[in-house]
Amino acid sequence: MYITNMNLGQYVPTGSFIHRLDPRAKLFSLFLIISAIFPSKTSLGVLLWSIVLAALVTASKVSWRSVLNSVKPIFFLALFTFFFNAAFNGIHIAVFTSLRLVLLIMFAVMLPLTTAPLELADGINELLRPLERFHFPADECAMMIGMALRFIPLLMEETDKIIRAQLSRGATLDQGNIFRRAKAFFPVLIPLLIIIFRRADEIATAMEARGYDGGKGRTRRKPLHWGIYDTLAVIVSAAWVGMFLALRL
Amino acid sequence: MNSVSFSYDAKNTGRALNRVSFFVNRGERVAVLGHNGSGKSTLSKIMGGILDPSEGSCEINGTDIKEMDFRELRGTVGLVFQDPENQIVAAIVEDDIAFAPENQGLSPEEIQLRVDMALAASDLVKKRDAPVSALSGGEKQRTALAGVLAANVQCLILDEPTAMLDPQARLNIEKVLRLLHSEGMTIIQVTHQIESESFSDIQRVIVLQKGSVKWEGSVNDFWDNAEDLGFSIPDSLKVKRYCGSRGINLPDDLAKFTPPVSEPYSKNDNGDVKFRIDGLSFRYNEKSFALNDINAEINSGEWLSIIGRTGSGKSTLVQHLNALYRIQEGKILFDGKDLPQKGKELKTLRQKVGLVFQNPEDQLFSATVKDELAFAPKNAGFKGNELDEAVIYGLECTGLPRDFLARNPIALSGGERRLVAIASVLSARPDCIVLDEPLAGLDASYQRTILGMLSRLRDKGHTVITVTHDLNMALNYSDRILILRESKAVKEGRPHEVLSVLTETLPAESLPDVLRISAEIKNINPDFPLLYDYEEFIKCISQI
Repeated sequence: MYITNMNLGQYVPTGSFIHRLDPRAKLFSLFLIISAIFPSKTSLGVLLWSIVLAALVTASKVSWRSVLNSVKPIFFLALFTFFFNAAFNGIHIAVFTSLRLVLLIMFAVMLPLTTAPLELADGINELLRPLERFHFPADECAMMIGMALRFIPLLMEETDKIIRAQLSRGATLDQGNIFRRAKAFFPVLIPLLIIIFRRADEIATAMEARGYDGGKGRTRRKPLHWGIYDTLAVIVSAAWVGMFLALRL
Repeated sequence: MNSVSFSYDAKNTGRALNRVSFFVNRGERVAVLGHNGSGKSTLSKIMGGILDPSEGSCEINGTDIKEMDFRELRGTVGLVFQDPENQIVAAIVEDDIAFAPENQGLSPEEIQLRVDMALAASDLVKKRDAPVSALSGGEKQRTALAGVLAANVQCLILDEPTAMLDPQARLNIEKVLRLLHSEGMTIIQVTHQIESESFSDIQRVIVLQKGSVKWEGSVNDFWDNAEDLGFSIPDSLKVKRYCGSRGINLPDDLAKFTPPVSEPYSKNDNGDVKFRIDGLSFRYNEKSFALNDINAEINSGEWLSIIGRTGSGKSTLVQHLNALYRIQEGKILFDGKDLPQKGKELKTLRQKVGLVFQNPEDQLFSATVKDELAFAPKNAGFKGNELDEAVIYGLECTGLPRDFLARNPIALSGGERRLVAIASVLSARPDCIVLDEPLAGLDASYQRTILGMLSRLRDKGHTVITVTHDLNMALNYSDRILILRESKAVKEGRPHEVLSVLTETLPAESLPDVLRISAEIKNINPDFPLLYDYEEFIKCISQI
């Protein structure tokens, strides 16, 4: 496969208790965690976050392979961050910054890995609901995110097929200077765009045919249900993050 | 349908539909037949209330669709389209099926009842918790169908729902449709041909041609007129008619009949070996093989069909032939030499072995057909006159007229796009051409064009390899057949040599008509040969 192995946070159903948490609780906790990883500056801090991540992945029963695959696409970004910082800020900061970046992304991908796209969309929808007063299209926005998550893997597959079709016709995609490479990518980019537009059109038709008319009056098979564990999850995250910030770890 | 017209541009020129009128009774199963570009997809969208007619009206139960409340309409008619991927919105089967009743604003309990009902109707109960990405093509299409059934519709409109599926998956869909029909569902199937598994259940046929209703009548009357209308008659019906006229009762009358032994027809016996595949294995991950110890030979100047179900490894195998996959285990010899994996030799390999993917959208990117056809030869180093000649060569192989060179590939019809995609590979003048499902989704006339072209190429000495689940094409057109099953090569041989493997491993309903009938006869009369060619079969039984 040319690119399909890059699994960008595609939902992995395992039925763990992390999966069963309310998506809003997961969104809250993720927000808290991210806000604490950023200022984390000590080796102990990074170590502790790594342990938390390991515990989270184990509890979610999602394979490490899925988690690592999801981080693959940002590997070069991490590498770039490392060298950039090494050149300007010294090796110590370089190591920390890139490690924190990787940790951050890994925590972030745990959300789509453990939450079904539509459920996540529901969660985002609920969190955005207060903005509806200002005519913010919360329903549509949430549905858009859910759809994007559902179709990313499909588009990756499609891109892979297009690359193969063009390589078969003798295209060279990985030679020459950057301009040449960019130009060589047109034969991949154009079919991809056409396919995306065609798909979008067909999906919209199919959704309309199934009675989707914006979020108005839509009910849920499994309405979001905020339980005791959700409150607990948020409290634990908040306490942990609070401790981190207080101790400046 | 009341004198419905439809035009995609506001000026109302070039109508996609022109004064179409017909009716469908409650509980009826009707096929709307039309060739590619006859306006049948537009028609299904109008019947489904997605598009409004420019003129005329479409009524359901006596009410104009335009006047109907959106929710009421969506709870009455359901639409299923060709590509299930574009209809499924959720990541889990059950979540997706709940989408329509959720849109109808039902309570969680009611939604769950609807989901259970739709799962049962589509034979998906065991898959309710499965991630959509882990389903087969047929299961995905049944999920899409269930997603529509969950809206509690009384009428189903299906737009080429099985065009992308293999015969066994098609059969499963047919079972679901039959059951629904027997329970009173109105079913309107919009298609370019009536698949043999479904015609005994369809009651009426409406033929659409260039946007107008050309013919309308019962299924039996349709078959009497089919050839005049440009549709081919399935072999099973031809056999039935022949036997009817001769008073032969199948299969019982042939129980004691010993047919004359005829030499199997063969051609192209002495080509050199083009590809030798030796112990080729490939896996995407540690868990499972995509190819498991494949051994095969492909001769120069022959037409080889590689057949097998979706997921049997066909596509992975052929993508090894021009080194799109790196060989993990085993060996491939091309013209006696190891398959090159990089550099100049790789470039030459890809020029010599042209690969046409199933979906033309995966490759067409140029503004004109001419540029599209020039892409591959340019990459192979053709210049000036040579390049112009190559473009013309590619075009002429497919029989497209010269004025196509200036057209925009994206604006062409599905069939024309397929031809341009093939031409854009042939223009590099490959020795060997590999095509993935070249006939899928095309109407009979495009199928004939492509089959004729491939036969001509083979006769000129090219090696032709087709990957297909279309057994009829494989048996009747190719010189040899390689059968893959669950990543393994189970049989390689001339068509008549693989017949017994086919009848033993596939369910009878998914076999080509003549083969199925001869297998039925063979069951009660071991002397009877397995046959696949209609003419040969008739010749054989005419001597009773």
